[in-house]
Amino acid sequence: MVGQGPSRVNDAELIRAAQHGDHAAFEELVRQYDQPVLRLALHLTGSEQEAKDIYQEAFLKVYRNLESFRFECSFYTWVYRIVSNLCMDYLRRKQVRKEDPSVRVSSDGEEFDLLEQVPDERAGTSPEQDLMRRELGRHIAAALTRLTPRERMVFEMKHYQGLKLRTIGEALNTTEETAKNTLFRATQKLRSALADVKSK
Amino acid sequence: MNCDWVRENIALYLYDELADDARHELEGHTERCGDCAAELNAMRAFHGTMSEAPQLEVTPNLLTAARIQLAEALETVPQRRGWRWTLDPMALLRQVRFSPALAAVIFMVGFGGGIGTMYRMSASLHGSANSVEQQQEASVAGIRNIVQEPGSNRVRIDYERALPETIKGSVNDPQIQALLVMASRSTANSGLRMDSVDLLRQKPDDPAVRESLVYSLRSDSNPGVRLKAEEALAPMVKQDIRVRNAMLESLLNDNNPGVRAGALKALEAVPDDTSVRQALTQLAKEDPNEFVRQESSRVLAQADVQ
Repeated sequence: MVGQGPSRVNDAELIRAAQHGDHAAFEELVRQYDQPVLRLALHLTGSEQEAKDIYQEAFLKVYRNLESFRFECSFYTWVYRIVSNLCMDYLRRKQVRKEDPSVRVSSDGEEFDLLEQVPDERAGTSPEQDLMRRELGRHIAAALTRLTPRERMVFEMKHYQGLKLRTIGEALNTTEETAKNTLFRATQKLRSALADVKSK
Repeated sequence: MNCDWVRENIALYLYDELADDARHELEGHTERCGDCAAELNAMRAFHGTMSEAPQLEVTPNLLTAARIQLAEALETVPQRRGWRWTLDPMALLRQVRFSPALAAVIFMVGFGGGIGTMYRMSASLHGSANSVEQQQEASVAGIRNIVQEPGSNRVRIDYERALPETIKGSVNDPQIQALLVMASRSTANSGLRMDSVDLLRQKPDDPAVRESLVYSLRSDSNPGVRLKAEEALAPMVKQDIRVRNAMLESLLNDNNPGVRAGALKALEAVPDDTSVRQALTQLAKEDPNEFVRQESSRVLAQADVQ
């Protein structure tokens, strides 16, 4: 959709206004960036509550540190750096706990399968196809847990968020070359993990 | 270029991350080399598989809930330079037209916020050149806190009292303007919002008034109020990027055809803005409203001639 994400090149005016205490400018910045931030957090955590917490923490950090933003990188990269660090911290903690990748506990204590929550909006999908697609989703969710947090982050940012590797490198405080190598390792691991799974 | 290089770079090729010359060479190599062609097909299949899998997506409910949670958290953060983050209940209500469960939450939050901010200005109005009349005894405006003393039936209740007053003065007076801005954000009375925005639109050059008009354009539930705010803001679309963003948002998302048409007309003044062009291109192709499609095409064509 047009208007979503960081389409504006002249954020500088808004950032300066927000740095000088203009709350409407800060609100505008949040609106410009919050959907991709929430989407990234939702994909990586698989949990709406965790995604909301990461979203909140990310923008609180943006708010607290806005005065120290010196335009050394784009605001877009800066926001992604903050949210990717928070997501990787989450993935590291989760890796220690070794949770089932697609099963979550709701706020009232019930266990539910995340993939059951995803609506299939494609017209003409038969129940069998739907079932197969969900089964594939489970395999992929399990394969993704085999990646290191950094590999997972790079793959998510590239494959699902469509970011350029240069931006990913900047967001992860590394080089484009390292991001390329990480993406290569991630795809190799995923292909290996999904070798026996047919997509259709 | 050899097979090892090709295999290491096929993923980059599919993600459109190779330079043109490398891309060209890779394509040439895979036409000649059966093994690398097979690897390219396998990688394409992998891409398809990963994209085919169901993904959790951000719903309007989730986005709104996240924004509410953030707004509440910002309320508790130590403020910088004396400014205060405020929850924007009207904007949230517009987002959750189709989310009744959240609407209840927002109502409660908005009510709480309203209690906290009600008539905080009254003290500063006294002593001004304007005529302020106290009309009645103060009434209870809201309860802030209730604490029961341990081991007893005694309670402490902190509450606020509101004192009804009337002020008369020029529309140019800053205090009158401040009250009009407050009225334009009244959550309950759309007539009040309409009257205040009608008066405020005489002063769109004032930063606080302009901010309030942007708020009304984006957030007011009443299309009449949004139209009035839009009319006042239209001349500012060239000079103020926030006005332009708000117009763009209205053009894309407003559910009222009149407001969308007004936004489109206002944005005609800035056809070279990248985001405006991007929006118009998309609307010209696929907007369900025929008028919007035709007008978007016309504005784009006109801009190309110029």
